[in-house]
Amino acid sequence: MRKVGIAGVGHTKFGRSEVSLVDMLALAALEALDDAGIRTGRRHGVDQVFVASMGAGILNRQSSVASALVDTLNLQPAMAETVENGPASGASAVKLGYMAIASGMCDVALVVGGELMRVVTGWEATDFVATMLHPDAEYAYGLTLPAFAGMFTRLYMDKYGVTEKDLAMVAVKNHEHAMHNPVAHIQLVPSFHAIIEDEDAPVINPYVAEPLRVYDVCPVSDGAAAVVLCAMDLADRFRKKPVRIAGIGQATDTHVVAEREVPTDLLAVRLAAQRAYAMAGLKPEDIDVAELHDAFTILEIAISEEAGLFPKGEGHLAVRRGETRVGGRIPINTSGGLKAKGHPLGATGVSQIVELVRQLRGEAGGRQVEGARHGLAVNFGGFGNNVVATILSKEE
Amino acid sequence: MEPGMYAYRCTACGKLFHPARAVCRECGGREFEAVPLEGEGTLLTYTRVYALPEGYMKPWLGFGIVEFPNGVRVSGQMNTEDLAVGMKVRATVGTVKEGVGRDYYGFIFEKAAQA
Amino acid sequence: MIVDKLEQSLRPPETNMPPYPPKYITLASGEKMVVHQASREDVPRLLEAVRPLVTVEKDFYDIVAARLYAELLAYQRYRVKDEYVLVGTIDGVIVGIVNGRMVDDKVGMSYHTVAIKRGLRIGAQLFAAKMEYHMDYLGQQEVLIVAESPIGYRRWMIEYELESRPSTWHELGGVPTHVLTKALWEKHKPMKCTGRRPVPPEMLEVAKKLILPSEYPQIPGFKR
Repeated sequence: MRKVGIAGVGHTKFGRSEVSLVDMLALAALEALDDAGIRTGRRHGVDQVFVASMGAGILNRQSSVASALVDTLNLQPAMAETVENGPASGASAVKLGYMAIASGMCDVALVVGGELMRVVTGWEATDFVATMLHPDAEYAYGLTLPAFAGMFTRLYMDKYGVTEKDLAMVAVKNHEHAMHNPVAHIQLVPSFHAIIEDEDAPVINPYVAEPLRVYDVCPVSDGAAAVVLCAMDLADRFRKKPVRIAGIGQATDTHVVAEREVPTDLLAVRLAAQRAYAMAGLKPEDIDVAELHDAFTILEIAISEEAGLFPKGEGHLAVRRGETRVGGRIPINTSGGLKAKGHPLGATGVSQIVELVRQLRGEAGGRQVEGARHGLAVNFGGFGNNVVATILSKEE
Repeated sequence: MEPGMYAYRCTACGKLFHPARAVCRECGGREFEAVPLEGEGTLLTYTRVYALPEGYMKPWLGFGIVEFPNGVRVSGQMNTEDLAVGMKVRATVGTVKEGVGRDYYGFIFEKAAQA
Repeated sequence: MIVDKLEQSLRPPETNMPPYPPKYITLASGEKMVVHQASREDVPRLLEAVRPLVTVEKDFYDIVAARLYAELLAYQRYRVKDEYVLVGTIDGVIVGIVNGRMVDDKVGMSYHTVAIKRGLRIGAQLFAAKMEYHMDYLGQQEVLIVAESPIGYRRWMIEYELESRPSTWHELGGVPTHVLTKALWEKHKPMKCTGRRPVPPEMLEVAKKLILPSEYPQIPGFKR
């Protein structure tokens, strides 16, 4: 199998898009192509395009988005597919791009993830995201992702002693990181005291799904992110030295959350991470920086444990010790994470990879993790029933 | 049909599922028989959700995961404000969502009467 | 000032309304928002603060701002009976305005809620302050509510479980009226209404400066 790298990255400002879904995807794609040094036009050399989008069909009433993107970028006759794997669509698309090149089927692939969500109200967005749950046993009840996250959090608190303050620390940390990331949606650092300790806190930071509060939940954002994948044996063609995709792991778990034997475990995360480490020949101790799917603050803690960065039940202790902030032992969500950077569903998995590339290239500015060589991304689909872990390594 | 809630027992190995599946996770069997899921269970975890999706005109709604004595675990709505992990609840079946042309029914749990 | 007879006949009779005691709320950013009652003398400043939003179509800011603008003028120049205006400020800068009026001693009417600064739930806090004024300080039994913005309206309607009363007409237009009753207020107040009193004198002094916002998130690149 050929080695595969990332030659270029692009990322729109997350938040509220003024342009259409395809135009937004094109903005991220062009930035990534420029970053890679690929000239657009008739001799572009892009063999394959993957577009990750969870909601184009439902939210934007548009199908075959990849074909539309190829058209606007005039990348014909490149192969093109749209990839849907819930909120893990982005990492799935990167995985398919990897497979396309590793197999020898093509040399250069453009992977773009994006979501235009703010065309609907918050209630409709919550409803749309919940359509990935089991239709009869979950969705029909009005159950949503925040509902499952709330029930999961309560179990975690009872079993491991995680507190609402620990969760607020994750939120504040990620918002602080986002202040150094110009493409992050929320450019505001909440005050720890104000959102959790002050007597006004119950009203200004109310519960969304007990015991999770507003500041434990990611915002609804528009945005797109893109990467250019290439065969490492063609590295000389590009402007910058590609960052290598060292390992990818994916795993599924029961769709129906209530059926999980140990309800505080996220087995698909554990297995996806193990598979990625095995493929990369690395261990959790080798990871220097991680982007973990913090759609809810509790998930950053739980995923950090399942991915082996901390023992199970001790992730919140690492948060308390400051180990997961930039400057700490293993900085997590340096981009601001889903919590502060935003979570445009299809974009998120690609956005995590973009952040790792910037970290491994040393281009992360005020949030740079010094000397980072290996980065881990975990993109979480469903309530943990379809998870993709990706490990990137800097080529020496 | 009278609205009722069921678990599905693999006729080959006896493993119970809710909701129905095409294949048994344990033995690969493909035939199941419906077993009523009713009576009392134990509340494993719960939440009150204040940001309900489109279609619910209420400020909040309670949800929980309940384990029946036969080991089957299900999600449902909670029709009590008095919630605690480990409490006994009683399964009722009711309308959990009003739909266009059809309503959806499912588990609505109530606090079990004191023994 | 002597008010001539014709002008006098155009002015509605005034009811003596107890003032809204100022309070302050610690927002998520840690900033303190002071909510205090504006006077007629403050109206020119408030008009300037509202004016840029009159042309912002997104999220119905234009309709809400234009109507609030007119209501502020009507308050200042005595054309609406028993109107009041509450203003939210952070470090003296105007971040939101709400208004309404007493219909009679039992019934209040909510007019508009405009949040200039976004992302800190300022609109929700000011709306709650307005309900607090009607219920806890004016001693009213119910407040009639309609709204132009679907998001704001649904939020109030669902979160406060407002009672639908289409038989009662609201002055703002023909949409069915919703009502916050005293019982609903008491039920939802603990989760909706917060803040501390008294406001330290120096903080209140700053709040009364009513500094015009230098930026409007609704208007990218705004220059005053």
